[in-house]
Amino acid sequence: MSLQKLFQKTLFGIFFLFGMIGVATSVLCIRTVDSYLSREYEANSKGIAKTIADASVDIILNRDLSVLQSLIDQFVEIQGISYIYITDETGEFLAHTFVPGVPEQIRTGYTGSNETVERRLPGIGDFVEVSSPILAGISGNVHVGMDMGLLSLRIQGAIGQQVYLITSIFVGGVFAAIWLMGLAAKPIAQLLSYAVRLAGGRADGADRSEKLLARDDEVGHLARLFLYFSEAKDPNRVERATAAGPNPDMSGALGG
Amino acid sequence: MAPLTTTTSKAASGSGSDGQEIVLGMSAAFSGPSRGLGIELYRGASAYFEHVNSSGGVHGRKIALKTYDDGYQPDPSVQNTMTLMLEDRVFALFGYVGTPTVTRVLPMLKKFQDQTVYLFFPFTGAQAQREPPYADFAFNLRASYRQETAGLVDNFVSIGRKRIAVFYQADAYGRSGWEGVRRALKEHGEEIVAEATYRRGQRFEGSMGRQVEILKAANPDAVICIGAYAACAAFLRDAVDLGLQVPVANLSFVGSESLLQLITESRPDRDRYTDLLVNSQVVPSYEDARIPAIREYRQLMLRHNPDPPQDLLEQAYSPLPQSFVSLEGFLDAKMMVKILDVLGEDPDRTNLESAVFSIQNYDLGIGELVSFAPDRRQGLQTVYYTIVDAGRFVPLDDWKRRFA
Repeated sequence: MSLQKLFQKTLFGIFFLFGMIGVATSVLCIRTVDSYLSREYEANSKGIAKTIADASVDIILNRDLSVLQSLIDQFVEIQGISYIYITDETGEFLAHTFVPGVPEQIRTGYTGSNETVERRLPGIGDFVEVSSPILAGISGNVHVGMDMGLLSLRIQGAIGQQVYLITSIFVGGVFAAIWLMGLAAKPIAQLLSYAVRLAGGRADGADRSEKLLARDDEVGHLARLFLYFSEAKDPNRVERATAAGPNPDMSGALGG
Repeated sequence: MAPLTTTTSKAASGSGSDGQEIVLGMSAAFSGPSRGLGIELYRGASAYFEHVNSSGGVHGRKIALKTYDDGYQPDPSVQNTMTLMLEDRVFALFGYVGTPTVTRVLPMLKKFQDQTVYLFFPFTGAQAQREPPYADFAFNLRASYRQETAGLVDNFVSIGRKRIAVFYQADAYGRSGWEGVRRALKEHGEEIVAEATYRRGQRFEGSMGRQVEILKAANPDAVICIGAYAACAAFLRDAVDLGLQVPVANLSFVGSESLLQLITESRPDRDRYTDLLVNSQVVPSYEDARIPAIREYRQLMLRHNPDPPQDLLEQAYSPLPQSFVSLEGFLDAKMMVKILDVLGEDPDRTNLESAVFSIQNYDLGIGELVSFAPDRRQGLQTVYYTIVDAGRFVPLDDWKRRFA
């Protein structure tokens, strides 16, 4: 059995632990970011719809619809807003930004509701449509379509950054674990090699394993213990074994 | 001959006029698909201003036209207006082109109302500068889009073409015309049967097939287009090619000659594309030499043949010998000169409004007398209708015979 095998389970345990932390954090992060950005996107859209609705009252009641069109043309320049349309209280489209025309789905399915809806317009894209009433709805409604594709891109971007950070920590943690295992395994490998040499009668306390015998830890204790047992067969060498390390404590070596 | 100054000469007094000249500021489309409108309006105005300058100016002052290109886009027009008002300190704004541009500039005039900078004779028939709260900052010469669309609708309905569809630019200009059509149809108890839009800046090479199909599905009796020449020519081409065989009307803003040039060039069967075309105009036909102002216009255009503002041209441009747009620019300039003349030897911007209102029954030479008053800030009211005959726009006399 190699030393790598000795630590394999521990290493896999660490990988698994890091992996679980990474996955759990990523899932939580995705849900949090998705929920937060979606709510923020919708809140901003509603804010824009309300702003247009408030500004539209005076225009609808007193001015030419070209002014209303000019107003929504300025808002549709904001990134993320794909379309805006304004209807009067009867559902007639007073101004809109669609080209080449109001999509059939919106035109024929118009209900005057101010609920937030998700729309899939064939050939155009997916949108979240928020609405705001003009003069409490008695002068019509403003509808703002926000590009879900852009929202998804933003969410993906934010999640990507989070996952990148977590993955980096995971990879760094794994390399750190391997390095630390290596540090722990190295003296054990030396101990094994020393024990093999002792067994073959090719080593004693005076050879190049002096550093090993001098260690003040479990490996040092074991090395000295191996040397003691090896030399116990030869009474003349026992003294050398007891003199090889600093205060060799056999009970300590045996007790670990 | 003293050519019209178009350089950046600033007025010493800070009010757009000094001992030598009166500087007017113009922001218009000199680039992009609608550049023909800005260039021809400028050329028409320049022909008259050059004539006046070569005759000694107005009370000894030459008229200079300071020009900027906005490409028919709102944001540059706002920026240009800031420059004209605050840096160039022009005497007045003159000859702006387009509804989406002018609509965005008007709030600036209100913001800086203490400087009493007025906008004279914009090339748009929109309501924004004809109604509160911005009517006090502009003077119009041409008839409005409401008058043009009402005239078109009334004439179509009178010959039994009641199912009217609208093709329009997706912006303030298109909406202004759309509302004009809607209002006019309401008077007859009718509604717009179908509508289709296009984005501002559309080129002639682009397809209008989808727009044609949308309108065709409603089986209209006529289509009224509210757009610029490149897009409207593309629509007319595709309408004919796709079998939408109904009269297609355009408003004066379209730039009739540029539209005709695009739709007929390289086409052996050009009549097929123009037989059902009818354009409303806010000036009489420049072909009608019986009208004194037309004779004067043709003579001065020939004599001065003004160049487009060379420093604003991105591509070569072939000027039109005559056009409805340059004729409008010419009449705008003539009216402006009259106002400056009334202002007297020491022109002061604060007296401009009263000078304008003092003009009553002034004969521009087109058979319609011009008067201004606090509740009448538009000089002309007449709408003319033209059709294509032998490759030229000529007056339409009989709607029934042509389109019934």
